[in-house]
Amino acid sequence: MDAKPVFARPEDGVRRLVVIGGVAAGTKAAAKAKRENPDLEVTVLEKGEHISYAGCGLPYFVGGIIKEGKDLLVRSPQDFNKDYGIVVLTHHEAYKILTEEKVVLARDTESGQEKAFSYDRLIIATGAKPVVPPIPGIDLKNVFTLRKPVDALKMRSALEKAEAEQRKLKALVVGGGLIGLEVAENMALRGASVTVVEMLDQILPGFDLEIAKIVENHMRDKGVNVLTDEKVNSFEGDREGFVIKAYTTKRTLDVDLVLWATGVKPDVTLAKEAGIALGPTGAIEVDENFETNVKGIYAVGDCAQTRNLLTGNPAFYPLGSTANKMGRVAGTRAARQSFLGTAKERSPLYVLGTGVAKIFDMAVARTGLSEQDARKNSFDAETVLVPAHDRAHYYPGHKFIITKLVVDKPTQRLLGAQIVGEGVVDKPIDVIATALTFGGTVGDLAAIDLAYAPPFSMALSSTIVAANVMLNKLSGRMTGISPVDLKRRLDEEKGKPGGSASRPFMVDVRTEAEFLTGTVPGAVNIPLSDIRRLKDVVRGAASELDLPDEARKLLRLPRETELILICRIGQRAYLAALELKRLGFLNCKVLDGGVMSYSFGLE
Amino acid sequence: MSVIKVGARCLQCPGPIVELHKASAKASPGDVIEIEATDPGFKKDVVAWCKKTKNELLKLDDFGDHIVAVIRKC
Ligand SMILES: Cc1cc2nc3c(=O)[nH]c(=O)nc-3n(C[C@H](O)[C@H](O)[C@H](O)COP(=O)(O)OP(=O)(O)OC[C@H]3O[C@@H](n4cnc5c(N)ncnc54)[C@H](O)[C@@H]3O)c2cc1C
Repeated sequence: MDAKPVFARPEDGVRRLVVIGGVAAGTKAAAKAKRENPDLEVTVLEKGEHISYAGCGLPYFVGGIIKEGKDLLVRSPQDFNKDYGIVVLTHHEAYKILTEEKVVLARDTESGQEKAFSYDRLIIATGAKPVVPPIPGIDLKNVFTLRKPVDALKMRSALEKAEAEQRKLKALVVGGGLIGLEVAENMALRGASVTVVEMLDQILPGFDLEIAKIVENHMRDKGVNVLTDEKVNSFEGDREGFVIKAYTTKRTLDVDLVLWATGVKPDVTLAKEAGIALGPTGAIEVDENFETNVKGIYAVGDCAQTRNLLTGNPAFYPLGSTANKMGRVAGTRAARQSFLGTAKERSPLYVLGTGVAKIFDMAVARTGLSEQDARKNSFDAETVLVPAHDRAHYYPGHKFIITKLVVDKPTQRLLGAQIVGEGVVDKPIDVIATALTFGGTVGDLAAIDLAYAPPFSMALSSTIVAANVMLNKLSGRMTGISPVDLKRRLDEEKGKPGGSASRPFMVDVRTEAEFLTGTVPGAVNIPLSDIRRLKDVVRGAASELDLPDEARKLLRLPRETELILICRIGQRAYLAALELKRLGFLNCKVLDGGVMSYSFGLE
Repeated sequence: MSVIKVGARCLQCPGPIVELHKASAKASPGDVIEIEATDPGFKKDVVAWCKKTKNELLKLDDFGDHIVAVIRKC
């Protein structure tokens, strides 16, 4: 224990701390408070069977990557008592907080006994619960939610049973968020045939459409059936009460197992009844020390409301990373009357919603605001999409990743990033999260001195390349069109008669060989080498007859025609745009991220 | 019929598919082209290219750090 004698001040007045909820935030707060004030009597009340488990590991336990249930349990109640001198009572459900008397009433759910716990300070860490709508059949057997180890155990035994009977299990995941997708992957890797149904037009809420589409395409390649814009309305069971069918807005699915994963909501019943104020997100409102409106009562983890670092707005990001940080700070503040700290600290109340997940061979990560978030918050946002290698291209095992940056145009301040690909994404997203935290601009990001050796990065890392592309855009050197905007344009044009004047002329400037690997539907092929020859023809130094047909056609177009230039990642299209501008084509746009980032189907 | 070996290791994309395209232009129908590449994007490219050019993809192996494709020119 690292408490120094100077910290022991029994006259402090804070003698008893009660913590409600014993998983990530609660146990972190309890342990920190005890270190901070070793004289403190700390009691943790947890209504479930287990404390301090790794909720984030549950999908991998379902899949069998984590073999033993005990591997998920970080610490036992006995450990807490032995190592910290903290009393942990499992199967104890707190049912009332008497704020005047400073008493928590709890029920021992095993013995039925009711108990009262007096406190000087109280920390609420009741977490969040899966959102479950009361639709027909939701209570059938083999319809699960995943929050606790026991849920994971039940799901895994259903999978194991199917394996033992050599049946191919038909699994349905309702909800395309990170938890749903992680479990979908784990079940597919175990041999189940998996369908994901998402009500919105994209999976991965919080990510932008084109990034979500890349992951969706990858999941399809891996054999997962992904259905968006579709809602599950009800389930039907067999005679024994096991689910056998799911009815959606578009079809009927045969199913043996369902995971309902449409998000979580903060568990605030207890707090609300005690008159503790909630914020607009529905979670408990707290200040920078995680204290609620009732003095001496703190709230941390998934039941508490954070704030977005960039907008200052109330936010609800139920993440383990945030829960642990909150617990630590609240533990420090709740432990004694007057806070002892002198070090310069910053409250983890302000968050970016940084997150990462592995989906089969891909990883996807985000931090800060998405493009959609930025627009909703009235930022004048600019974006880039930049594919690059995660390591030197000549180093074996290097992979592509695509970086999307979102920037506030007037200030050039970074607003957010999303990274997706088969390579390493967690390092760059953490670099960008750091830059965001310090209020960095794109220029700052482009100039960061990052580590480089071939096995780890490129000489110009993917993050710096993305920042440089953004600088080119912001300075007017390049005009881009995002894949989402291009797709929307093409869909609009589809309805119009052929030869519509508003139709952009799309040129794929890659070599013929690459063009044949697939392009944006409707694009013609004029390799960059031919585009470079156009100026000779214009100058009269070469004959038009030397040009391929498509290039000749391009030369004859009115100069105000909107040209959309396409290559693999955007670089050659940028070079082509520079050439064409010199020939008078001023309305040139580069497809952001090239065909690599065009996730709406190539032809 | 002959077997043409193309080494495209360490070529950054689009290197490998361009090499394959060149080799195929020179080859005669029935010839087999075996190409080895380290560019991870090559796997998808070669499948799409064969489909579009109507050449037959006989084999496609991903060894993690390199990819080997065997194509019959049609
Ligand atoms: C499948 C899954 C995967 C996840 N993956 C990630 C990830 O990869 N990265 C990440 O950052 N986060 C992830 N999370 C989120 C992360 O697990 C949560 O943010 C974290 O568990 C929050 O901790 P908490 O202590 O606030 O709440 P909880 O874990 O919800 O714990 C709250 C506890 O309080 C108890 N409780 C509630 N009411 C009472 C009461 N009245 N009396 C007594 N006890 C009570 C509950 O029984 C519960 O055990 C994942 C979550 C799940 C479910």
